[in-house]
Amino acid sequence: MASITEKAMRAIFIFCGLAIILFLVGILYILLSNSMPGLIELGLGPFFAVDRWNPGAYGEPTYSLLNMIYGTLMVTLGALIFAVPVGVAAAAYLAEIASPWEREFFKPIVEILAGVPSVVLVFFGLVVLAPLIARAFNLNSGLNAFNGALLVGIMALPTIITLAEDAITAVPKEYRHASLALGGTRWQTIWKITIPAAFSGITASAMLGMGRAIGETMTVLMVTGNMVARPESFLDSVRTLSAGIAIDIGDVVFNSIHFHALFVAGLLLFLITFAVNLLADILIQRKPEVSK
Amino acid sequence: MLKTNSNVAIDKNVIQEASKPEPAKTKQFVDNEYCEVKVENLNFFYGSVQALFNVSVKVQEKGVAALIGPSGCGKSTFLRVLNRMNDLIPGTRLEGKVSIHGENIYAPNTDVVNLRKKVGMVFQHPNPFPKSIFDNIAYGPRIDGLKDKAVLSEIVETSLKGAALWDEVKDRLNEPALALSGGQQQRLCIARALAVKPRILLMDEPTSAIDPIATQRIEDLIRDLCTDYTIIIVTHNMQQAARISDYTGFFLQGEMIEWGKTSGLFTNPEDQRTEDYITGRFG
Repeated sequence: MASITEKAMRAIFIFCGLAIILFLVGILYILLSNSMPGLIELGLGPFFAVDRWNPGAYGEPTYSLLNMIYGTLMVTLGALIFAVPVGVAAAAYLAEIASPWEREFFKPIVEILAGVPSVVLVFFGLVVLAPLIARAFNLNSGLNAFNGALLVGIMALPTIITLAEDAITAVPKEYRHASLALGGTRWQTIWKITIPAAFSGITASAMLGMGRAIGETMTVLMVTGNMVARPESFLDSVRTLSAGIAIDIGDVVFNSIHFHALFVAGLLLFLITFAVNLLADILIQRKPEVSK
Repeated sequence: MLKTNSNVAIDKNVIQEASKPEPAKTKQFVDNEYCEVKVENLNFFYGSVQALFNVSVKVQEKGVAALIGPSGCGKSTFLRVLNRMNDLIPGTRLEGKVSIHGENIYAPNTDVVNLRKKVGMVFQHPNPFPKSIFDNIAYGPRIDGLKDKAVLSEIVETSLKGAALWDEVKDRLNEPALALSGGQQQRLCIARALAVKPRILLMDEPTSAIDPIATQRIEDLIRDLCTDYTIIIVTHNMQQAARISDYTGFFLQGEMIEWGKTSGLFTNPEDQRTEDYITGRFG
């Protein structure tokens, strides 16, 4: 009797574990099966053509994702340009400089920042950042890629800080002592020894932060201005892939080419995030070498 | 934490009562002669636990001074006082005077970075940076602002030769230092310390993590280096102290029980406790 319960429990737990894989495979299947008709009908070309996203046009609808890819890249890379230096510096501060009580004080704040719903952050983007940006650059509207990049950067910060701090803390203290004993200042030790020794972990933190940034939808939808035109600069309004899907999916005709084109955009996002996370995972596995 | 502290303190008192019948004698240096390292009435505390009691000693220029004593006797703490590495441990406190080359290194205006350039250190476990052999040696000069590649190469070569490692690594300077054997890594760390051109080298049990043959090479190296540097070495191994040092200090329970010429201390110790320790009655 006991062994039957034992086996049943085991089966339940295995099933839950396998469910994760099932979900992932299921999502990939849905994405593939729904984007395939679009890909078969149009081929890959039109999605990446130098053209517009205009699926509702009379006569010749166009399905180019290019401008939305630009938008996604601008928001993501912009976010990283802002969040990686700030995040790594904050992590170095927490790991190397902060006194114990300062650490106790700052770490929960980082966790709270991670828990702020992205929609709430949008208020900050709309009410504070947008007017500031508009005034600073003399624009009609502050809803643009720059605004989106800043907000997404703020959202990626907790991920980057937490993981980079882990990576820096994992650097053996012997390295620091060696550097200090050679007459290195604390700053030189952090900059030339500790951070390089933690490099793979820090890169992974940036990658995972990027994974968060790429998929972010609500924020960028509301603060980037939502223009599908080709952006010329960070001060132009953009639309990202994720925002594009969110906007159109509500009133698209089921099983139309437009519908399938949205799934192509989703598949693209999925593949990018998958690749980024995979890369981050590989980097995290590469622990810093430690002398025996 | 608090509990451990008080336990240690109680422990110490008990042992002191047992092993120290006469009151601690306070040495006074009346002369003002120049010497490499001069420590006067040093007391050192980790929080509320006192680790060093009234240590006074003068170390002459050049040669090897060995510090021996059982585990936890304060010899490593004493060594780290000399380049202020104890500063890294929060809650430490020091009383007394420590002078190197006539300068009080605990004066408020002391430049600790400069002090550590003058007083190099080799640690118990080899700790090369996860960088190439070349970059390990060049690290000290580089953070000092040296950029000239030719000068750096020269320093790397002289330092590696100084640490008797050059012939083994000259063809693979760009390979990772962590690929070297333990003994080679320790000589690399010695070379790395030499590259900063210190005057004093502190060594904290530098051979305790290394096999006997590599140990012998490092002992030979220490004898070679002591014509140019003042070397102060902490060792667990009394034979090692007898083999390589000119002067020896014996620590027990945070006190320097005896300090003198190695030959004298090992053959004819003044203090009964020193004799007990070196003849293996405890420790």
